[in-house]
Amino acid sequence: MESKQEKRIKSKLGEFTIALGQIASKVGDKKYNIETIKKKIAQARRDKADLIAFPELSLTGYVVRDRAYELAEPVPTGASVREIEEIAKKEQIHVIFGMIEKSLKASAVLHNTAVLIGPDGYIGKYQKMYLPTHSVFEEKRYFRPGYQTPVFETKLGTLGMMICYDIYFPEVARLLCLKGTQLLVCISASPSVRKGFFETLTAARAIENTVFVAFVNLAGIQDGLQFWGGSRIIAPSGSVIRQAKYDEDDLIAARIDYSDLTRVQAWVPTLRDLRPEIFNSLRDETEKL
Amino acid sequence: MILNEDALRLDLQLTTDRLRRFIRDYVKKTGAKGVALNLSGGIDSSTVAALSASAIGGHRVLALSLPEEETRSSTDIQHSQMVAEKFRFKLETIDITPVLKSYFKTIPAFDKRDRLSKGNIKARARMIILYYYANRQSRIVLGPSDKSETMMGYFTKWGDIAADISPLMDLYKTQVRQLAAHIGVPQEIIEKPSTPQLWPGQLAEKELGIRYQTLDLILLGLENFMAPKEIADQLNLPPSVVTRIKERWLSNEHKRRAPLSMKIQYRTIGADFRLPYNPP
Repeated sequence: MESKQEKRIKSKLGEFTIALGQIASKVGDKKYNIETIKKKIAQARRDKADLIAFPELSLTGYVVRDRAYELAEPVPTGASVREIEEIAKKEQIHVIFGMIEKSLKASAVLHNTAVLIGPDGYIGKYQKMYLPTHSVFEEKRYFRPGYQTPVFETKLGTLGMMICYDIYFPEVARLLCLKGTQLLVCISASPSVRKGFFETLTAARAIENTVFVAFVNLAGIQDGLQFWGGSRIIAPSGSVIRQAKYDEDDLIAARIDYSDLTRVQAWVPTLRDLRPEIFNSLRDETEKL
Repeated sequence: MILNEDALRLDLQLTTDRLRRFIRDYVKKTGAKGVALNLSGGIDSSTVAALSASAIGGHRVLALSLPEEETRSSTDIQHSQMVAEKFRFKLETIDITPVLKSYFKTIPAFDKRDRLSKGNIKARARMIILYYYANRQSRIVLGPSDKSETMMGYFTKWGDIAADISPLMDLYKTQVRQLAAHIGVPQEIIEKPSTPQLWPGQLAEKELGIRYQTLDLILLGLENFMAPKEIADQLNLPPSVVTRIKERWLSNEHKRRAPLSMKIQYRTIGADFRLPYNPP
């Protein structure tokens, strides 16, 4: 039997609604944050959203420092993933959110992880590859980097995920797109001084890969850091389809139509024009840096 | 990086909005009923008072004017009243002279010729009264410190620096001047020479030995990892001036941090005990 969501999506193949839940997570308060996620999901469903994404570490807040160890949970067997799975099943929606993942093999090994859940339950995860450890960021102190760039075949097409600082490294988005990503979801916890970079980089990743990009950022203040919000859904041409408020809690939604991909990819054929022979040089020169 | 006035220019409305939200957010998260601050009538405390009144409403802001006989200035008192009236917050005046006299009399080692040690008692006495109001009336204490003075260590340890939050601490003095003008702090306050009011006739620029316009550009260069020689060349200054500022900045780190401890155990306060600043 088809689920309600399958029927809804089938009404027009390759077209669906994405929502971005720009929340102000409370540091260390998973119960409060899940409740906020739940309310946003209900609101997004009223907008007929098929997918909603929440920011990086939205489950725990970003500036958790040493509390990372006590707030971490395994994926997908941890209680929080299970709880959000139940919400997603009930609301018949895809959900992406960020959390601290605890390794099942070594309990002090943590990852900064994006989790993808579908209307039928857990689908997969992405572990942040590039961990900022400079300025106010101290992620390498706590997290092990991810080594995989998985893509997920879903009822909403091929989804790829990345996290915040990953966007500074075009090879992450490129790899995900070479694996067929149609919608690239970048979950983020970006403080205000970085706003200009992200506004440029989110559009750049969309343009250079001719892919839809959904960027969802935290809002609110943690440890004197103002997370600037400004979440946005970007067309493969780089134009902003919809943008959330700066700095504050918000929810936005927009229709994604994959038929735009063919149009833009024919117009700006960046993937067709890739030159694999220079990639070895890239690796060689990087090793010598 | 080119060190000139433009490098210190701010998006003033954005900065104002951010600081107001910061104050409002902290008050909300702590569940405090309001804020308390020491209003000297100078630019920093006037700017913090004005920002907080517009952030949470003047009725939740208590400004304390804490003059004492040696440094009392009718101009400063008048300026404090002017700001309180304009931004509609409560101003209370407490003459701290009796408290100070009592300290001076009580301390066997007290020597009135040592004006710095004596002046620091004034700054710390103000802090004690401020925190009394904060405790008694469930307020958080807002500090006036700016980035120039904090980097220079130009403040009293546990005195004027003591606060729950210091909204201006990431703005250089010349940037505070821009911000003050933007939010409507009266011009005479902005143009008045800064003083910590520790003894009569004390002036910040005279004591620091440099104008804030130059100091701020030197500090901005240091903040941006520029070498002293590069800064000196750009600003057409003798390298010794920049080196002196750099050394003063580095040697005052003890005034900006939690007390240093010896690492003995697993996680150590101030070292590797890293917790979020999460108000209760």
